[in-house]
Amino acid sequence: MLRRSSRIGSGQDIVATRGSGEQMISLTIDGRPVQVLPGATIWEAARTLGIDLPVLCHDPRLEPVGVCRLCLVEVGEPKLTAACVRGAEDGMEVHTASERLETCRLGLVELLLSEYPVDASVLPKTGSDLLVELAAELGADWPARHRSGEAGEAPGSRTEPAGGIPAGDGRALDHTSKVIFVDHQACILCDRCIRGCDDLQVNEVIGRTGKGYQTRIAFDLDVPMGASTCVSCGECEKVCPTGALSLRGWETLPEDAAAPAVEGWEVL
Amino acid sequence: MRLIRELERLQAERGHLDETCLRELSSRLGVPLYRLEGLVSFYPHFRTEPAPPVTISVCRDMSCHLAGPEHVAATLRKELAGKEGLAVEEASCLGCCELAPAARVNGHPCQLQDAAAFASSVPEGDPAPNGEKPGRLCDPYGEAERYGVLRAALESPSSTDEAERIVDALQRSGLRGMGGAGFPTGLKWKLVRGEEARPKYVVCNADESEPGTFKDRVIMEELPHLVVEGIALGAFVVGAEKGIIYIRHEYGRAKAALEAELDRARLAGLLGSGVLGSDFNLEIEIFVSPGGYILGEETALLEALEDRRGEPRNKPPFPGQVGLRGRPTLMNNVETLALVPGILRRGVSWWESAGRDGHTGFKFISVSGHVERPGVYEIPTGTTVAELIELAGGISGGRALKAFAPGGASSNFLPADHADVPIDFETIEQRGSMMGSGALVVVAEGTPLLPLAANVVRFFRNESCGKCVPCRLATQKATEMIEATVESGAPLDWPVIRKLNLLLGETSICGLGYVALNPLISVAEHWPEEVPGCSVEAPE
Repeated sequence: MLRRSSRIGSGQDIVATRGSGEQMISLTIDGRPVQVLPGATIWEAARTLGIDLPVLCHDPRLEPVGVCRLCLVEVGEPKLTAACVRGAEDGMEVHTASERLETCRLGLVELLLSEYPVDASVLPKTGSDLLVELAAELGADWPARHRSGEAGEAPGSRTEPAGGIPAGDGRALDHTSKVIFVDHQACILCDRCIRGCDDLQVNEVIGRTGKGYQTRIAFDLDVPMGASTCVSCGECEKVCPTGALSLRGWETLPEDAAAPAVEGWEVL
Repeated sequence: MRLIRELERLQAERGHLDETCLRELSSRLGVPLYRLEGLVSFYPHFRTEPAPPVTISVCRDMSCHLAGPEHVAATLRKELAGKEGLAVEEASCLGCCELAPAARVNGHPCQLQDAAAFASSVPEGDPAPNGEKPGRLCDPYGEAERYGVLRAALESPSSTDEAERIVDALQRSGLRGMGGAGFPTGLKWKLVRGEEARPKYVVCNADESEPGTFKDRVIMEELPHLVVEGIALGAFVVGAEKGIIYIRHEYGRAKAALEAELDRARLAGLLGSGVLGSDFNLEIEIFVSPGGYILGEETALLEALEDRRGEPRNKPPFPGQVGLRGRPTLMNNVETLALVPGILRRGVSWWESAGRDGHTGFKFISVSGHVERPGVYEIPTGTTVAELIELAGGISGGRALKAFAPGGASSNFLPADHADVPIDFETIEQRGSMMGSGALVVVAEGTPLLPLAANVVRFFRNESCGKCVPCRLATQKATEMIEATVESGAPLDWPVIRKLNLLLGETSICGLGYVALNPLISVAEHWPEEVPGCSVEAPE
């Protein structure tokens, strides 16, 4: 049930190799010339020059989907284009930095933050939260709470406005898996866990349910993770760029954790 | 197509798709549960709970909003409260705006005020076709002459020359896509013709769902033979052997008319292998959309045909190169395809002279809102908005014109003093709006515009697929903000609205996101006194 047939690569195999016989593609990125093999994306081409375009939805191990829009670049067309999905083309002149792009990136991060639990920034999972890191880097106006993560403190779902954009909340926590803790409010629907679960591990458990603003990640027929066919491989936690999916061993349960986290299901 | 059709079949058989049924389907077809969940929860046509014997769907969108249905729906709910076996639900634009305020009772369209009476005597089964109504200007045929252009093309000694002649004629005619984007039709046919990959497909986009738009429905009901011939000519030119008509599920009558036409065409040897004894093969089938405005976006439509959630693809590549199942796909709107036979039969100069004052051709326009005779009007291009309003019987109740949207919900509102604008792509664009899907929505003096703009923004929020960050979140944020202002009169945080508009326009994947706040911005631009908090000096 693979959704695409193609190249899931490391991003390293796209640089010119002498004698490969394939016609190389020549383009410039921020004025610097670069040659890549056909099929390489702009994002991959930029990496060979040491330009790391911000991404939340992309990971070199996954087929790109271009949904977070943070890697948008200018290619001389009226519309910006997502570098992670757009193929490099001969003669293309790519620009990765401009006031227009900075405004868009900051605005997108603010949109995501306005839905993001301020406490998720301290979720002591594997130590990183790409959204909060990016927010700090871009100087987003948002009250991240950098707590120490000591025992007794638990991730919450409180959200705050970001850059004047009103906050939104109301999505559930799911404590039902013995291994993975799910904070739907911290999910940015980047699709990484879905591709990790379905394409990389071929466990085929995670998808999306609902439409529009109501969309959530879901397990099987939208049952709690602990009641699903999840085999606890941990791939979803590994690829998650935020505090949405984390290892339970690291997570401290809220005091009222005895209450069912998802209506109708017992906490394990 | 297989999976969505199977879900539809099961729902028709069992009334709804419960867990047992989905689990059984999953193991029978080897489809993971998450995929079924993704489809069933995405498409409004699917239901996981049993439906009552009678369901009244009440339209909540633009033209019906203008007819004041919000309290009508509430009254109806009160009136019907506690009645066994009957449910009232809100629905996005039903594509019968001439009935506004419109409703559907078990799939049969009616006026909302008749819905309660209708509910006690609702007919069984799908709506029957209305019957053809000849006499539209774009139809070049008497009944016996139909498919004349296709017949002539197939009799031509060189199909290559003939295909190139058709492309050339369409390019010279200047015909543009009538679905909203206005891409030159001849160029599109030429590009898909030039693609080498096989097989190729032709898709007729009959999923018009933009509030205020119902012209394609009328064309399919009245002129199904032109739609079918248009598809056949497209397939002949690009080298496809398979055509698919993607039609919204609310269009039962149009679907019935197309089915009857396809049967006639099959009997006449116009479909199948070796059409009319030539070496051209063609099959055309109808695919019923499981619902949602976004499916009219061509790549979302393709995703649905491939049994996925209807979420637009990143472009390029465009469907003409990489379309259905990765193959070159010619995608055209119903009206575009229906106009092709007439242009080819009567010639480019006829088409050019059909317009007025230097404008080219005819245009079908859906007229709704505050007019006496809402409906679909086939007008020479170049007709002014004021003249079209007169054709539609003038403003209802003898009121004055306040505003109009020339191209449906996504087009910018223009004030009454622009009613002299000749209807054509460029002329309307010059006034700061767009012809879009050809839907004139008329607003009479005395109508507050901020609630109308809120209604439009809410529509785009409801219909966003949720794939990309800007559209999923910014349409919700903007809706909350505008609704709060409508409710309380408190000023809108205009810099934030502008920021959301910028993000939608610059960073969304598809057109739904690009346009979502345009109507609101246009209201602020032309009627700043109606938008508390908007900064008049620097609207976008």
